[in-house]
Amino acid sequence: MALLNREDWYDLARATNWTATYVTEEALFPEQMSGARGIPMIAWETYDEPYKTTYPEYVAVQREKDAGTYSVRAALERAAFVDSADPAWVSTMQAHYGAVALGEYVAGVGEARMARFSKAPGNRNMAVFGMMDENRHSQLQLYFPHANIKRGRQWDWGHKALRTDEWAAIAARSLFDDIVTSRDAISTAIMLTFAFETGFTNMQFLGLAADAAETGDHTFASLISSVQTDESRHSQQGGPALRILIENGHKAEAQQLIDVAIWRSWKLFSVLTGPLMDYYTPVAHRKQSFKEFMLEWIVVQFERQLLDLGLDKPWYWDTLMRDIEITHHGMHMGVWCWRRTMWWNTAAGVTPADREWLEEKYPGWNRRWGRVWDVITDNLLRGDESATLPETLPLICNMSNLPITHIPGDDWDITDYSLEHEGRLYHFGSEVDRWCFQINPEHYKGHQTLVDRFLAGAIQPPTFEGALQYMGLGPAERGRDAHAYGWIEHFRKLRSAA
Amino acid sequence: MADFPLHSNFQGDFVPVLVLVDTEDTMDQVAAKCAYHSVGKRVAPRPDKVIRVRRHRAAECLPRDLRVRDAGLQAAETIDVIFADA
Repeated sequence: MALLNREDWYDLARATNWTATYVTEEALFPEQMSGARGIPMIAWETYDEPYKTTYPEYVAVQREKDAGTYSVRAALERAAFVDSADPAWVSTMQAHYGAVALGEYVAGVGEARMARFSKAPGNRNMAVFGMMDENRHSQLQLYFPHANIKRGRQWDWGHKALRTDEWAAIAARSLFDDIVTSRDAISTAIMLTFAFETGFTNMQFLGLAADAAETGDHTFASLISSVQTDESRHSQQGGPALRILIENGHKAEAQQLIDVAIWRSWKLFSVLTGPLMDYYTPVAHRKQSFKEFMLEWIVVQFERQLLDLGLDKPWYWDTLMRDIEITHHGMHMGVWCWRRTMWWNTAAGVTPADREWLEEKYPGWNRRWGRVWDVITDNLLRGDESATLPETLPLICNMSNLPITHIPGDDWDITDYSLEHEGRLYHFGSEVDRWCFQINPEHYKGHQTLVDRFLAGAIQPPTFEGALQYMGLGPAERGRDAHAYGWIEHFRKLRSAA
Repeated sequence: MADFPLHSNFQGDFVPVLVLVDTEDTMDQVAAKCAYHSVGKRVAPRPDKVIRVRRHRAAECLPRDLRVRDAGLQAAETIDVIFADA
C-alpha cells in the first residue's frame, strides 16, 4: 500500500480538538492548567509548530542518535578518558550532570502538562515528543555518570544533587519549579521552551560540546550534542504560543513571562556555565569566553527572535549587558571559596596565564576579582589553607537562591536590593530579582534560602559543619581544590625568580 | 544580651556574609567581628585605617560606641563595613 506524504495528512491527523459534550470545556481544560487566558479554542487551533515530525520519523531518528551516543561511550570507556582528563574537566562533567540530569526529568513534567492541557493541538502533539526527549535526556545523563561511580562518590551526585538541600541544588530547583512545574501549559511553553531552552540550553550544550571536543572528551561532546538536537526541536513550541497570545491582546503578559524566565535562567547559568567556560576549561581549549558566547547566543540571536515576534527586549537589557561581564566572576569565586559545599572539586583557574586571559577578555579583572585572588594566593603560598575556607555563609538572594555578588576589589560595588514584605526582610541580588518578586509575591514569598533556614533553626547543629550535613555532603563528597593547589606553584616560581 | 544576625558587606570583598553579633556589641565590636571573616582572607589588611560600620549604602558611618540594640537595625539586615581614616 502506498503511503501518503507527511504533508498530505499531518495537519488533519493532529487536528485533535473536539467539542466536549459529557463535560464542560473548563472541566476538560481547567484554566489553571491550560492557561488559555480566555482565548477561544478556534484561535488555539491556528498554532503552527515550525518543526514537524511524525512518530515513526521520531523513533527512527532517536534510535539512531541513542545508538551513536552509547557506542561512542562504550568505545571510549575502554580508553578510560576520565582517568587521564584534567581534574577541572572531570569537575565540569560532575557539575553538569548534577545540575542537569534530573532537571531534564522535571522538564518532562512540563512537557507532559503541555501534552495534556494545552488547548493547541499542535502544542500537545509536539509536547508528547518533548516529553519523550526529556526522558531520554535524563536516562542518558544519569547513565553516563553512574558508570564513573567506581572512580569516586562525587559522580553519584549526577543522581543525588537535585534531591538534596545543597545550596546550588536549591537554586536549580527554585528555577525549575518556577518556570516548569508551577505554571500553566502556555506559560510553560513560553518560559521553559522559548526562554530557557532557546535562550540558554544552547549555551550549556553547544558551548560545552565545543569545549569537550577541544578537550578530547568525545563521549561528553557526543552526549550533549545528541541532547541539543532534541532541544532545538522542542524549544520551538513557545514561538507559536507567543504569536497567539500577542494576536489576542496578551502581549504584555507574554512579555512579562519572558522577562522573568530570561532573568532567572541567566542567573542560574551565571553560576553553572560561566565558571565552567571561563575558569574550568583550560585556556588553550577555550573556544570563546562566556561573555562572547552570551553575546553571540543571547544578545544577537535571542534578541532578534524577540523582535521578530513583535516583542520587546526585556526592560532590564542594559543591566543584563553589564552583568554578563561581571556576575559569573563572583559566582565562580563563591563556588571556589565555599568549595566544601559543592559536589565537585572546584578549579580556581587563576594561574598567571589564566589571569592574563581574563584581563584581556574582561578589562579590569585584575583590579577587581584579582585583588581577592591576590589575598587567597598569598595565604596559600604561606601554607595557610584554613584562611581560604569560610567559616560562615554568604548572603543569598531570595529570588535566585545564589550568593549576592557584584564587583569586589578597587571598584567595590555590591548592593543588597532588600525589600520588606508582610513583615519579612527579603534580600535580592539585583533590582531585576526584586522586580520578579514584586510582580508576583504570592508565588515566591514562602520560600526560604539556605541562610533563611539556618536562621530559622532548621540546620542543626547551627554550625558550618551542620550546614554541610544539612546539604547532604558526606566527607568524601565535599569539594576540594581540583588541582590540590598545584596552580600556586606558578606564583612561587615567579616570586622566587623576581 | 542576645545573638543578632547581620550581613557584613565588607569593603573590597566579593560577597556579604552572615555574621552573628551580640545586641550589646558596639559598632567597633561589630566591625571587628565582620573583619574576622574578610580581612586577611579575601581582603588585604589596611593597618593605617580604622574599620567602621554604616547602614547599607548610607553616606555616614554609625557612631563607634553605638550599641546594636540602640542602632535600629533589623535582624539579618545588610551593613556596610568600610575602611575609614583613623
